[in-house]
Amino acid sequence: MGGPSGEIEMVDANDISSKHKQIAVSEFFEKNKHFLGFDSLQRSLITAVKESVDNSLDACEEARILPEIKVEINRLKGDDVELISQDNGPGIPRDAIENVFGKFLLGSRFHAIRQTRGQQGIGITGVVMYAQLTTGAKTRIISKIAKDSSAVFVELGLDTRKNKAIKSKERREVWNDDLTGEEIPHGLKIATVMKAKYQRGKQSVYQYLRMTSIVNPHATITLIIKDRDGGVIEKAKWVRTSEKLPRVVEEIKPHPHGIQLGTLQRMLRESEQNRMKSFLRQNFSGVGMKAAERLLLAAEIDANRNPKRINSEDAKKLIDAFLKVKLLPPPTDCLSPIDDLLIKKGLSKAIDSRFASTVTRLPAVSQGNPFQIEVGLIYGGDLTSDGPIEVLRFANRVPLMYQQGGCALTKAIESIDWKRYGLDHPGGKGLPKGAAAVLIHLASTNVQFTSEAKEAVSDNEEVFDEIRKGLLEVGRGLRNHLKKKDQRKKAKEKFELVNVILPAIAKKTSKILGRDEPDLAPVITQIMNAVFCEEELGWDKERKLATCSIKIFNYTARARAYTILLKWPENEGISIVENSNGGRKETRGIWAWRLDTLNPGSSTTISVAISGLSKGDWTDTDVFFRGNGEIIGATKIDEKILDEIRKTEALSALRKEISEVNHITPDTNEVIVREVTTENQNTEMINVFGEYEEEVI
Amino acid sequence: MSEIGQRKTKMEVKEALKGIAAEMHNKMEKGIPPSMTLPVRAKTNIAFDNKLGVYKYGKKKSTRDATSLGSARQLLRSLHVTEFIEQMIDAGKSSTLREMYYISEGWGHGKFGSQNESNNLAEDLEIVTKCLREDFKLRPEEDGSRIIGNVTFEERNRKGKWMRINCRDDVGDSGYGVPYNVEAEKLTLIEEDVDFIMAVETGGMFDRLVENGFDEEARCALIHLKGQPARSTRRIMKRMSQEWKKPIIVFADCDPWSFRIYASIAYGAIKTAHISEYLATNGAQYLGITADDILAYDLPSDELTKQDLNALNSELTDPRFNTGYWKEQINLMKEIGKKAEQQSLAKYGLDFVTDTYLPEKLAGIGLGY
Repeated sequence: MGGPSGEIEMVDANDISSKHKQIAVSEFFEKNKHFLGFDSLQRSLITAVKESVDNSLDACEEARILPEIKVEINRLKGDDVELISQDNGPGIPRDAIENVFGKFLLGSRFHAIRQTRGQQGIGITGVVMYAQLTTGAKTRIISKIAKDSSAVFVELGLDTRKNKAIKSKERREVWNDDLTGEEIPHGLKIATVMKAKYQRGKQSVYQYLRMTSIVNPHATITLIIKDRDGGVIEKAKWVRTSEKLPRVVEEIKPHPHGIQLGTLQRMLRESEQNRMKSFLRQNFSGVGMKAAERLLLAAEIDANRNPKRINSEDAKKLIDAFLKVKLLPPPTDCLSPIDDLLIKKGLSKAIDSRFASTVTRLPAVSQGNPFQIEVGLIYGGDLTSDGPIEVLRFANRVPLMYQQGGCALTKAIESIDWKRYGLDHPGGKGLPKGAAAVLIHLASTNVQFTSEAKEAVSDNEEVFDEIRKGLLEVGRGLRNHLKKKDQRKKAKEKFELVNVILPAIAKKTSKILGRDEPDLAPVITQIMNAVFCEEELGWDKERKLATCSIKIFNYTARARAYTILLKWPENEGISIVENSNGGRKETRGIWAWRLDTLNPGSSTTISVAISGLSKGDWTDTDVFFRGNGEIIGATKIDEKILDEIRKTEALSALRKEISEVNHITPDTNEVIVREVTTENQNTEMINVFGEYEEEVI
Repeated sequence: MSEIGQRKTKMEVKEALKGIAAEMHNKMEKGIPPSMTLPVRAKTNIAFDNKLGVYKYGKKKSTRDATSLGSARQLLRSLHVTEFIEQMIDAGKSSTLREMYYISEGWGHGKFGSQNESNNLAEDLEIVTKCLREDFKLRPEEDGSRIIGNVTFEERNRKGKWMRINCRDDVGDSGYGVPYNVEAEKLTLIEEDVDFIMAVETGGMFDRLVENGFDEEARCALIHLKGQPARSTRRIMKRMSQEWKKPIIVFADCDPWSFRIYASIAYGAIKTAHISEYLATNGAQYLGITADDILAYDLPSDELTKQDLNALNSELTDPRFNTGYWKEQINLMKEIGKKAEQQSLAKYGLDFVTDTYLPEKLAGIGLGY
């Protein structure tokens, strides 16, 4: 597994490495170990794993390869630890190896802004350097690119003053897999020895990789930790749950709203354009011809001036103008959200739970930076209920493991009144307690951290609000789930009461008194006096079908007639293949059955099977009814909401057509962005059942 | 039906139990959920019975009917217990409440969730049938307490012979062990040569008084309560008080739980208010340790815990403590925020309790010697 599939076009490895731009900062490392993540033995190991894994994921993503990553940690004598990391990525061309491992790099071209993992680390050079500084060891590298017939084997050291790599023992050889003996078509393997310490717990390599696998459901990650004697201490494998690679993110130009004076001056200095008007148009997003003219007018700068000659005073005026003149927002297709369904899959591969709710918010903009929030909440199962909930924080798919308390993502969780959503939240302060975990993913072209260490996201009102909205949505889901669980428990108790206990009582009294057993039907009706509905979701392993059965019991003294409606994940490729009672489509995602009259004391069952889903995709649903009286376990359908769904559906179909037409013409970039946005809004409106109960914040 | 406390024949007990099953059966035949009616067993539903001189359940009733799973299970259990008791009566056997709890393992949906449930249900059945636990051939796990002093009983032993025991001369240091059944068919009060009976809360103090020869010096019988006294302990005190006309004096720790021990002896316990007149000794006196004593004797003391304070506050709304004396003591205790053990008297030496404290306190209630 892991090679490029037929339809995925591989990007040439030469191309990726050429984008790297170097900055001479070798000696910077020793002075700044603390915020580069190499300040303690435990942390250095996590940082080293993080740098290599992030590199692997980024490289695979760019080359459109489903990542297969192996991390091996071997304890050697003293505090020495060997770290081996291998991927099936595109590999690094021989000539680029020195640059990639020997210099501090920025992830991509200087002015371009894009959501990458690399943003947050010092890069793999830090690992090479740390190993050399602590043990004197050289870093062994094997790199194979697809078009070469053999792999490069090389050892690297660093000249820390000259910011240069020193190569040694370089050779070319066919690289075969240790286990299978088969030749490896492309990939990268790094092995080095460093002073480090393996530790279990919340801040461990294990946790780092577990979190990484949650937000990278397309990756398969293996971890093996061996003791000095070669015995395995810890072993884990997170298998991919999705074959879908994250989409290729577009590089975008910076938006004027996020630009600081220093950056603007540098951009002016390095301008390739000779006139201000074209400088603004070419280097910024959201600035068209008209906007550029208005900006220059507001800044009182001649449109034809040479950017290189703009003094700092004029630059300041331009910054002021950026805020005054109305501009188009930056495009948001430069973001790569994980996608709510994939988060659900990622979460379920790492944590066993009873309930999972995820939401991907629409992209938003803060200070010229597009960002997008994703929130997931899981509940029950293996999670422990004593103590605060687990918080899983991510920025651009990278786990944040330190400084949880000072992070804006955590603060957003703490700002919710979780008691309303069914979690224990003593005093409404701090993190709620209970068997739950909350995931927050912030995707942004520019994640603002509280410090250089990049461990906690700094406060930002727009980001905070978006997270809160996401949390409220998953919170509502949890509340409904808990409410339903409670209802179901009560119904179950009633069933046990009338079907088991009551007959036992009648049997016993008859025996003790030597009298005939009484007819219990009237007693049962009096005890229950309601219509009950019980739905059960299942998975048919053999036929790979998601199943749902709905049982309705009439325990009242009157005959009842109802229409039962089921919410199901209707989508392309997902269809109802078996349906015991026929019925009809009510609207998108809602199927309806008109039931025959249900006599007192009788019951009926509806069962459906759905194809196109994977196990675990359909874990929660809602059953609605239309008719008189109440059904315990089902909700009375709100016709107004149904109407709205129908309207939205019609609208969305129309929009889809329009957007498809738009996609054909490549130049209407902004229009497409807006189309995407409105379409997402539709999906949100369809999810109207989430808002079924009115929210009071 | 006859009043509680009057012993019933086997047939009467069986008929009374059948009444429970009949009530349920009749209801089901009428299409009504089966039920069992019980008095509310809480402090809000106990009232002083002027005629009997003890606290009894008031008029509040609760109906246990089969409309909830928990109640339905209780009803089913009651029927299983009924059947089990009938079997024991027929076979001439008896069992402990704990044994019944284990036997219930075989009762399917009627099995008990905890020992406490089986104890409570036995009490429920007593209330509904007006029989005694002893009539049901059920006995408690814990034995009764022990007695030392110049009093003489006759107890029918396992061979059915009456055995005469003097609780001073015929017993060892641990005293006479009170059997779980102290009714007339098992125990007769023969004679005594004491002025009063002193109930002592803790084993340590009981042994101290025995070692100091207090029973002979003060001409009393000592009875060890072992914390909250078992039914047989309360019943034998009641009999000694009634048949020998001797005052009962309670000597306990000074803490809210000890006050409740006293209340259960003197007025009846909330849990067993249906048989208060049979267990409670109206007129039993609380000797100490009182909150005053902590101050007057400058006793080593502990701070009241949050639970202690809750217990004291709860006692202030308990009708049994609604007297000037108890209100004063409880409020004083809350004011000083302290509690003290009986054995804190040892601060002044091992003999202080028998040489000084008890004589002074007994003189205060007219029992000086």
